[in-house]
Amino acid sequence: MTDESSDTDGETAGSEADTTPAAATLDREELRDSQRAALEELLFRLADDEFVHAERATEWQIYAPTLESDLALANIAQDEFGHARLWYDLLQELGYTEAECIWERPAAEWTHSTLVELPFPEGGWGNAVVRGYLYDTAEQIRLEALVDTSYAPLADRVGKALSEEEYHREHAGNWLERLAGEPESHDRLQTAVDELFPHALSLFTPGEHEAEIVANGFRRATLDELRTEWLDTVVPRLESLGFDVPAVEGVSLDTEGDNRVPLDTEGDDGVGDDDEVSDDDGITDTETVPRPDVRGRDGTHTDVWAELYEEFTHTYHEIQPEEPATLTSEEV
Amino acid sequence: MPTNAPMSGEACAYTEYDEGESPEDYPKTGRDAEGVEAEVWAALREVEDPEMPVSIVDLGLIYGVDVDSETGTAAIRMTLTYSGCPARDMLVNDVTCAAETVPAVTDAEVRLQYSPEWNVNMVTEQGREALREFGLSV
Repeated sequence: MTDESSDTDGETAGSEADTTPAAATLDREELRDSQRAALEELLFRLADDEFVHAERATEWQIYAPTLESDLALANIAQDEFGHARLWYDLLQELGYTEAECIWERPAAEWTHSTLVELPFPEGGWGNAVVRGYLYDTAEQIRLEALVDTSYAPLADRVGKALSEEEYHREHAGNWLERLAGEPESHDRLQTAVDELFPHALSLFTPGEHEAEIVANGFRRATLDELRTEWLDTVVPRLESLGFDVPAVEGVSLDTEGDNRVPLDTEGDDGVGDDDEVSDDDGITDTETVPRPDVRGRDGTHTDVWAELYEEFTHTYHEIQPEEPATLTSEEV
Repeated sequence: MPTNAPMSGEACAYTEYDEGESPEDYPKTGRDAEGVEAEVWAALREVEDPEMPVSIVDLGLIYGVDVDSETGTAAIRMTLTYSGCPARDMLVNDVTCAAETVPAVTDAEVRLQYSPEWNVNMVTEQGREALREFGLSV
């Protein structure tokens, strides 16, 4: 917890404020407790997003539609695991072990966006393409806001991750255009946009230390600003390819002027509103879809998360380092 | 198994071999090092990349060597060609062990550093020759 301003709306945007530390001027030893908590929040979100996104991407390695794509997805997953390691490393320098960061961390403490944990529907290559596009675009915007971070060990690593992300966006963007042009695949992509877009918004849901993250120059823009930039990028692109971007309850796609809605106002539980959400695929322009009631960022997740978590921690627990390994055949 | 197919470019699947400029003062080769630090550089030169028969010093992966003459601790800064390198732990271990073979070094610590970003122009001339012999066009 911070003992300072508990403003959680991120409106302390003034990254030009005189008191904000300059780029790469803070190191581990100089962190106050409140700064450290803010930095950990930022790093866990970065790392968890990459790790879980990679876990899902690996599922494509035997199903992608071309051998080239098999390799591409394998490479992208490898990069994302590599980036997760970049950020978990920094947490380990702050005193955590790898097991505490990943293998023994309770499922309810993971703070990735719900976008990256969703399973792929059968034959859902379009889902993988749309997800990659939405995620990698957000990733670039987020990393660019970290280039001049005040935290020196983070500043050292951002450029490397940014340059390795370029190819991911290219890959997703190329497939997006390719599939958008054919009616049948266009429909599948539209289904994926409808499903994923509301979850992608949770990429920008602020955590309890958001104000502190910006005030200390750990990130040079608020999540609100990042979301605006992301919306201004992905919405026109999707629309230019003939997709409808769903209207999500409480979220305005109008990112300018008085119509814009601040992000994630507290307590918008979305319950009791009068929107009629069609049960099938019949979302029209005038309807809004409800905001998913789990955000990921606060540890609340969709129902599929428990299973995914169980899967990727299974082997770790099976070969508990301190206990002798047991062959399956020895088990009763 | 060797084939007659030409090897043009990429041995390590996702390492970029064709982009970038060498930042000023890089690669670091330890040429001007003296005393124990020179000995550490010489020891590190023996460590090869796990995928190619090239010294990691010639690949330009070592960014700095500092030895505390009082404690005998060697602090080594190094980078990786890409962040998802699966040989990281092995390389860090090899580098640590190599540095500790120097008699005056009691303890070696490796710290990974990612700025400046490594690129192929940070490979030394000697490293390029070794890569060409291996079959890469650089």
